[in-house]
Amino acid sequence: MTTTATDDALVKRAQQDDERAFGELVTRYESKVYSLAMKMLRNPEDAEDVLQETFLRAYRGLKSFKGNSTFSTWIYRITANSALMRLRKKQLPQVSIEDSDERETPIAIADWAPGPAEQLLNQEMQRVMDEAIESLPHEFRQVFILRDVEEMSNSDVAEILDLSVAAVKSRLHRARLKVRNRLAQYFSEIKSNRATGAKAS
Amino acid sequence: MMTCREVLDSLSSFIDEDLKQEVAQEMHKHFHVCGECRAHFDSLTMTIKLYRHIENPSMPAGCHDRLVKVLELERMNLKSVSDPPQSDKS
Repeated sequence: MTTTATDDALVKRAQQDDERAFGELVTRYESKVYSLAMKMLRNPEDAEDVLQETFLRAYRGLKSFKGNSTFSTWIYRITANSALMRLRKKQLPQVSIEDSDERETPIAIADWAPGPAEQLLNQEMQRVMDEAIESLPHEFRQVFILRDVEEMSNSDVAEILDLSVAAVKSRLHRARLKVRNRLAQYFSEIKSNRATGAKAS
Repeated sequence: MMTCREVLDSLSSFIDEDLKQEVAQEMHKHFHVCGECRAHFDSLTMTIKLYRHIENPSMPAGCHDRLVKVLELERMNLKSVSDPPQSDKS
C-alpha cells in the first residue's frame, strides 16, 4: 500500500536537498499555479513565465521557508505577487481603487437573465466575464480571483495577499459589484437587441 | 428596519453567510418587501455562481518539461556556486 506524503513532509525532505521531494511538490502544484497565473494575466506566455518564476523563487527560498504558513499559501503568495508585478510592468491603463466607485453606476437589474449558471456559460458570455475581470483594478482582481474563482476563504486570501480580512472583504465586495455591473450591462444589451429584432420581423 | 443602502453594503457578507444572525434575518425581511434590493441580491449571487463554473485553464503541451528544465538549470547553477571545480594539483 502506498501513502501520499504531506506537503510538510515533502518540504522537509526538499530542504534537505531531496530533489525528488521538490519535484513532487512541483507536480502537485504546477497546474494550480499556472491556472491562477492565467486567470490573472489572461495570456499563456505570461502565465508560463510566472509559473517558472514562482517555482524558481520557491526553490531558491525553500531553505528559509519556516513553515509559518502552509506550503500552498506560500506558493500562491509567490504566484500572486509575480503576476501582480507583471501586470504593473505592462502598465496598461487601469482604474485606481480610489477612482472606482461602482456604487454610483445605475444598472438595469431587472434585465438580468434568469436560469442556471451552466446554461449561460457560452463563449460570448465567457468573453464578457473575462473582460469584466480585466476591467478591475489589479488589487481587486487578485482578491476576486482568489476568493470567487479559486474559492479560497477570506482568511486564506488575506494571508496570501498580506492583507487584513476586513480589507479582503471590502475589496471583494467592490470587485463583485463592478463585475456584476458589467454582466448586467451585457444582459441588458442582449434584451434590447432581442426587442429590436422582434420589432423588425 | 435596515435601509436599502445598509442592505446593499452588506450584500457580499450576507451571501458569504458572514453576518450576525439578527442582521441576516433583517436582510431576509427586507428582501420580502423590497424588490430592488432582492434583484441586487439575486444578480450578485448569479455573478458569483457564474465565476465558480469557470473551467481551470490547463497547462499547454511542453509547459511541464520546460519548467523541469529551468529548475534543473537552476539546480546546476547553485551546485556549481557551492561546489566550485577542484583545481588540478597533480
